[in-house]
Amino acid sequence: MQVDRESRFLRGTGTGEAVAVEEPLLLAELKPGRPHQFDWKSSCETWSVAFSPDGSWFAWSQGHCIVKLIPWPLEEQFIPKGFEAKSRSSKNETKGRGSPKEKTLDCGQIVWGLAFSPWPSPPSRKLWARHHPQVPDVSCLVLATGLNDGQIKIWEVQTGLLLLNLSGHQDVVRDLSFTPSGSLILVSASRDKTLRIWDLNKHGKQIQVLSGHLQWVYCCSISPDCSMLCSAAGEKSVFLWSMRSYTLIRKLEGHQSSVVSCDFSPDSALLVTASYDTNVIMWDPYTGERLRSLHHTQVDPAMDDSDVHISSLRSVCFSPEGLYLATVADDRLLRIWALELKTPIAFAPMTNGLCCTFFPHGGVIATGTRDGHVQFWTAPRVLSSLKHLCRKALRSFLTTYQVLALPIPKKMKEFLTYRTF
Amino acid sequence: MDGEKKTYGGCEGPDALYVKLILSDGHEFIVKKERALTSGTIKAMLSGPGQFAEKEADEVHFREIPSHVPSKVYALCMYFMYKVRYTNSSTEIPEFPVAPEIALELLMAANFLDC
Repeated sequence: MQVDRESRFLRGTGTGEAVAVEEPLLLAELKPGRPHQFDWKSSCETWSVAFSPDGSWFAWSQGHCIVKLIPWPLEEQFIPKGFEAKSRSSKNETKGRGSPKEKTLDCGQIVWGLAFSPWPSPPSRKLWARHHPQVPDVSCLVLATGLNDGQIKIWEVQTGLLLLNLSGHQDVVRDLSFTPSGSLILVSASRDKTLRIWDLNKHGKQIQVLSGHLQWVYCCSISPDCSMLCSAAGEKSVFLWSMRSYTLIRKLEGHQSSVVSCDFSPDSALLVTASYDTNVIMWDPYTGERLRSLHHTQVDPAMDDSDVHISSLRSVCFSPEGLYLATVADDRLLRIWALELKTPIAFAPMTNGLCCTFFPHGGVIATGTRDGHVQFWTAPRVLSSLKHLCRKALRSFLTTYQVLALPIPKKMKEFLTYRTF
Repeated sequence: MDGEKKTYGGCEGPDALYVKLILSDGHEFIVKKERALTSGTIKAMLSGPGQFAEKEADEVHFREIPSHVPSKVYALCMYFMYKVRYTNSSTEIPEFPVAPEIALELLMAANFLDC
């Protein structure tokens, strides 16, 4: 693929053709409305942002122990007028005034991790819950929040009510992940060096503790086909666990510093991990092979005399169609990467970014920063090639080894296993 | 599509709105030309100099592709429509679903057609 810098259009000869690639435009920025009295000791960072899988809600931990839940899409007042005119970027800031459907969850302590459960459970569950009124009704969209002292609180999104309190972790619950299948199994990752598996169908019973990490576990992610769990920690290694047996499958070595973020591609065929060592590594999770490294270096090295590369990674995530990555780094840049290229295709300035996530239907990236703000950016609109769509469909149920066993030409295998694009 | 009103010999020329895709076992599919041009291969076949030697310029013969999987051809046409609909449009692009059972054969066709 070639990048034509003058017109900023990507010509696609490969997998997907971006309709147009321009620098991400800031669509909206939300700032928390501060209560009159707040505790200066509790931090104000937005450690996590999340969209519900169906795209109807957005949640962010806006610091000071508060999680804000807002329906998506955002109301008119938040979107700058004339957004369709892509030639100019505009910022529209607004205090969190609150619409009737917004929910404010007071978690009582710093919130580190957030995760939505898929929508909703089968109807039989509702029937069961009606006959067992003392059991919290989890047949609805829920949000799990990971807290400073190791607790996990489960909230009902529609009403903002607290449903469950899960105890077990001894330290900060840094990240959470629900199984995408809707089975209401929750995985949590903690600074107590463990991951824990919880079954929300059984009052949030803790069904397994995964030990093995030597330092803080920063993140966890479940593959979309629900077969694998990835966890990454301070000791530079990335672990892959089986979600069927809850045992360790393999360790991925390669990062030079703490690994703080991980994400699977939508077809579960790729895993990306981001580290303080300024790199994002793309892996084949089935074989453990490193496919490529994305280096986050100074944008214009000639202009900068300093030897210091302050580009520790904070967050990495896949776009919903599986062709782009967004990364947030300490060098004050949000970067968009096309999978097959070695340099980013677009940048946007972002100070003190901590986390990022794509809107599930594409087109928007949400980021959170140290001051408790969230920003929404335009993401490249992608019309995937039919080749890539077929690859994605196949890889959603075929492992790398199964692909290699198919009676197809070698070039096709290389394409299907993402060795070529 | 309004183009120049040129004609070439007895062919319809670039004005033709539809093209006929003829597969190796004789099955014919008539598709709007604009959509068929989604495929780089079809585009090349329709615009190359060899075309004017054919009796009708708006036909494309695929000697390699059999039609015994009709759903595959249907999916191809649907993809062409999807691509034309959402290229140069500012609306949100929905996902194009590919049924797992035809995905492999469709991939082969997509690879051949470069789309």
